[in-house]
Amino acid sequence: MNRNETNSLWLPGLGAIVLSGARPLFAIALALLASAGMIWASGVNPFTAYAALAQGAFGNIASLANTCVRATPLLLGGIGVAVGLKAGLLNVGVEGQIYAGGAAATAVGIIALPVSPWLHLVLAVLAGFLGGGLWATIPAYLRAYRGISEIVVTLMMNYIGLYFISWLVEFPGILAEEGAVFPQSPLVLKSAQLPILIRGTSLHTGLILGVGLAVFFFLLLRFSPFGFRTRMVGGNPEAAQYAGISVKRQILIVILVAGGMGGLAGTGEVLGLKLRLFDAFSGGVGYEAIAVALLANGNPLGVIFSALFFGALKAGANKMQIVTGIEASMAIVVLALAVLFVIAIGFGERKLGAIRKAKERNQTEREAQAYGD
Amino acid sequence: MHQTGETVLRMTGITKQFPGILANDNVSLELRAGEVLGLLGENGAGKTTIMNILYGLHKPDKGEIYVSGRKVEITSPRQAVDLGIGMVHQQFMLVDQLTALENAILGMPTARPPLIDLESVRVRFEKLAKEYQILIDPSTPVWQLPVGDKQWLEILKQLFRDAKILILDEPTAVLAPSQAQQLFKKIRQLTEEGGSVIFISHKLDEVLEITDRITVLRDGHAIGTIMTEDATPSNLAQMMVGRPVYSDRKQRPPLETKQEMLVIEDLCCNDDRGIPALKNLNLTVYAGEIVGVAGVSGNGQKELAENIAGLRQKVKGTIRINDKPVTGVIRDTSLLGYIPEDKHKTGLVANFSVEENMILKIFDTHPFTRWGLLQGDAVRRTAGALIEEYDIKTPDSTIPVRHLSGGNQQKVVIAREINGKPVLLVASQPTRGLDLGAVESVHDILLRERSRGTAVLFISAELQEVMTLSDRIIVMFEGEIMGELDAENANVNLIGGMMLGHREEHKDRARI
Amino acid sequence: MEISLSFISDWLAASIRSAAPLMLVSVGGVYVERTGIFNIGMEGMMLAGALAAIAGSFFTGSTFVATICAMAAGGVLGIAHAYLTVSRRANQIISGLAINILALGATNMLFARLFPAVKTRCRLYPVLAPEGLHDIPFLGPVIFSQSVIIWIAFILPLAAAWVMYRTTWGLNIRAVGDHPHAVATAGLSVFRLKYVGVILSGLCSGLGGSALVLSELGYFAPNITAGRGFIVLAALVVGKWNPIWAAVACLFFGGADALQLRVQAFGAVIPYQFLVMLPYLLTIAALAGFVGRTVGPKTVGQPYDPERL
Repeated sequence: MNRNETNSLWLPGLGAIVLSGARPLFAIALALLASAGMIWASGVNPFTAYAALAQGAFGNIASLANTCVRATPLLLGGIGVAVGLKAGLLNVGVEGQIYAGGAAATAVGIIALPVSPWLHLVLAVLAGFLGGGLWATIPAYLRAYRGISEIVVTLMMNYIGLYFISWLVEFPGILAEEGAVFPQSPLVLKSAQLPILIRGTSLHTGLILGVGLAVFFFLLLRFSPFGFRTRMVGGNPEAAQYAGISVKRQILIVILVAGGMGGLAGTGEVLGLKLRLFDAFSGGVGYEAIAVALLANGNPLGVIFSALFFGALKAGANKMQIVTGIEASMAIVVLALAVLFVIAIGFGERKLGAIRKAKERNQTEREAQAYGD
Repeated sequence: MHQTGETVLRMTGITKQFPGILANDNVSLELRAGEVLGLLGENGAGKTTIMNILYGLHKPDKGEIYVSGRKVEITSPRQAVDLGIGMVHQQFMLVDQLTALENAILGMPTARPPLIDLESVRVRFEKLAKEYQILIDPSTPVWQLPVGDKQWLEILKQLFRDAKILILDEPTAVLAPSQAQQLFKKIRQLTEEGGSVIFISHKLDEVLEITDRITVLRDGHAIGTIMTEDATPSNLAQMMVGRPVYSDRKQRPPLETKQEMLVIEDLCCNDDRGIPALKNLNLTVYAGEIVGVAGVSGNGQKELAENIAGLRQKVKGTIRINDKPVTGVIRDTSLLGYIPEDKHKTGLVANFSVEENMILKIFDTHPFTRWGLLQGDAVRRTAGALIEEYDIKTPDSTIPVRHLSGGNQQKVVIAREINGKPVLLVASQPTRGLDLGAVESVHDILLRERSRGTAVLFISAELQEVMTLSDRIIVMFEGEIMGELDAENANVNLIGGMMLGHREEHKDRARI
Repeated sequence: MEISLSFISDWLAASIRSAAPLMLVSVGGVYVERTGIFNIGMEGMMLAGALAAIAGSFFTGSTFVATICAMAAGGVLGIAHAYLTVSRRANQIISGLAINILALGATNMLFARLFPAVKTRCRLYPVLAPEGLHDIPFLGPVIFSQSVIIWIAFILPLAAAWVMYRTTWGLNIRAVGDHPHAVATAGLSVFRLKYVGVILSGLCSGLGGSALVLSELGYFAPNITAGRGFIVLAALVVGKWNPIWAAVACLFFGGADALQLRVQAFGAVIPYQFLVMLPYLLTIAALAGFVGRTVGPKTVGQPYDPERL
């Protein structure tokens, strides 16, 4: 698994972001450059295209709100992936957790509960978290206790989730709306909807929730015993076991938490944006959240910036399409290229680290291990 | 030994630089037909590197290679094989899922390409095997072969390729002394037929027995080459380490009272493959003594240590430390300090800082955690004190521990384990891979613990250090204790016999 | 829902059509995982191949050209994955995921550009329905009304198995994923073997994509592969990394897919979604060990470092 260079206690918070920010920033720059090339090859001036992109992302309040709204599920899902990465786990099941969490939140949100509106909302959000966590239980158990790779299992759960939701909103039952033209759930009640932050936009409190949780998890990982255990398991599970940590339990908890965050991503979409459960409402956001977390090098604080960056790309891409005709899916292409560049560069950095390390060792003693003798 | 012929191989001025390490510095050696050349040196001396260069795995920065008088450039193992050079590495290069025969033909040209022609190669395999008395069924999947057979298969692979120059890199590491003797017989057979062997080892006695000449390497330099008949352990050792080596026993105060600290009764457990690794083992270690566990690696020592630390489930038996039964992983550092066999795999988290590694087992206790938060300054203080006490060379406690040298990394592990002042210390191969200075430090630390009254269980595959350090020596073979001796008057031959499975009838055995 | 003989033969025929793209991809999948590389990007490679195939057939009218285009598209992505995972030793999952996302975005872009009218009617693979044979009841519709690519889909796994177990190259492939250093010290090029394995998986995935759009479905739409590339990963596990058994597993998955479509059409009591879920559930069951022990190539997922023996 990706060995995170910034696992140590001592780096101050900002330093961690900066250190882990250099490589992804460079990769993003390369990706934007490569995309500029593609734009130019299509006969459009890249500057015009990117200007339109920026306009659509930051041009006015509405654009900014749009950016943040699109960033929110990426942020929430990305945090879950980031926490998992620290434990050496890759949660590829965000997509399925989004569906499960969204469904659970909807289930609570469409019922008129005899409680105050605030409590209704809290319960719905909690349900979403639990729904996502529930969706991760099978992969979590299989990974923690049977050592089966969480990657393929969570991937499968994604599709099971997709079709499960499809069934929920189509066939008359708990969640399907009667007499609807398209398969969908009834409207989420006002008391369970996430409040809008800026009137006239669709920017909902999910963003605040995301930022708050990002900070929370960052602090948790760095300053709490739980975080220490998690990083130990991610750094060297055998050593963690030798130190008396229940590695299985830790992995289980981390995957469940990661799943819960995925569930929150879906919750935000349903309770804040769409206000209903739709068939296939995620559309690949789950996978994008993984890319977002990878770009942030697994650092929860970094995920905030990474999510905003990609939210901006998506928000601006529509404007770019309108102005220049370059398809909006270019945004996804940029993201994918960024990740590919990040991992392509990554090796070079590791080699430099190895050289530096070997030099230091030579000053103190000859080390035979690394190079045979 | 016997007549050796003209030079078949000459390497001159070989220099190889790795990032940060000069592995070979202007090394030259010469190999003659029909001879066994010993390549002797400590870990890190450069022996494997120069042989890897000969085998085409690395390219030298400087230097030349002449095979049978002709200058050659060996850029890949394929070329080395074509030149008649074969190499048996320290680790097995066998594909477990394939059969012995398939492994033997891997990479070799076939009669009817691209098809594999198993039948004709099988005939050749069996012929060679019979010639060298290597009894392996060619259709056995390699994962089923015992370790000794795997080593024979490795050698057979090279013979298959008509290797005239055979490089053996620490071939006896996984062999019992009797198997090593068999290996020597085969080596002699090979050289009588005109082949030449380069025998890499750090074991003086073996090198003295089998070789005709010895080239000694130290720190990447070739120190010199001498005829084996002129070599003695002390002049060889002096060449290897550059200063006179004393193998005296360290001074120690005598054992006072007999307080049982570790009591193991009837211990049975299995190894990772489910095969019994420990068979009704009984052992007692008293406070203030060092019990050395001798034996060839892989006879249950690892499983014994893991059982004591609670890392491995036992099938039967009891283990008590200071009269407390061991039921699960022991986190209590006042009870047990455990220095694991492989510090990289088990003992340290490479990415964590030095200080984080030092509190690996106690991070969630006071004062390192208060009100649910880790207390960085408490961690730093403790780490600083330990770094001083154990003379660990590191710029500060916050750098990742993987930046430290092997010896200092081991010190981090030791410091952590001893910091809690455990009543029992289990040290498993604590000096493996360390240079002489670090080895001395570790020995001193162990003796110091002994003086403090700690019960020490010291497991090592190096018989020499077991003999110098221990008060009592037990010998393990195939999961059982073959015998127990007082280290003061220990007889090397007796111990050697026990390592092979000869049980010692000792009148005190009931006490063990 | 009536279960008559014609229902069964119809269902079997559809199963084969549905399984064929998976079988093609699975051949590449077996080879690449045997070399020790995890290729989760076969989904994206398949998607790229699908678009290339449709475009090739649409613009040149030749299914042969379309096939070449499809394999090229998959192959190019395969080279990217090979470079990242073998030469740069990057994390194989991340590389595969990024390739999937890239393929999704790029195919969406190109599809919008090349087919603004969305209609993709073009020449499909010719059906092999020899006179006389295709009228045979039951066997006729099942075997003798299938397109040429489906025949290839059955032949390829057999050829792949023969190569894997009867040739030296196949032996090397089997060895390198298990113990790359043993292969290196035997004088072979580990890099070359892994590169070929990955590129082969790209080619096969592209080919599978062309089978999907030019035989099974007959059209292209954004994200038309819808996770089929991931199902193949499942087939590799269930098929224990043997080309023939993996293909058989694909047949089972194809059967489930064809069944759920029929159930939908008949408006049965079981919601069709649960039938669609079947392959995914089966995979989890297989991994959890309910379908026998699954022991894959030992070093799958681990980057190969020639310096560290």
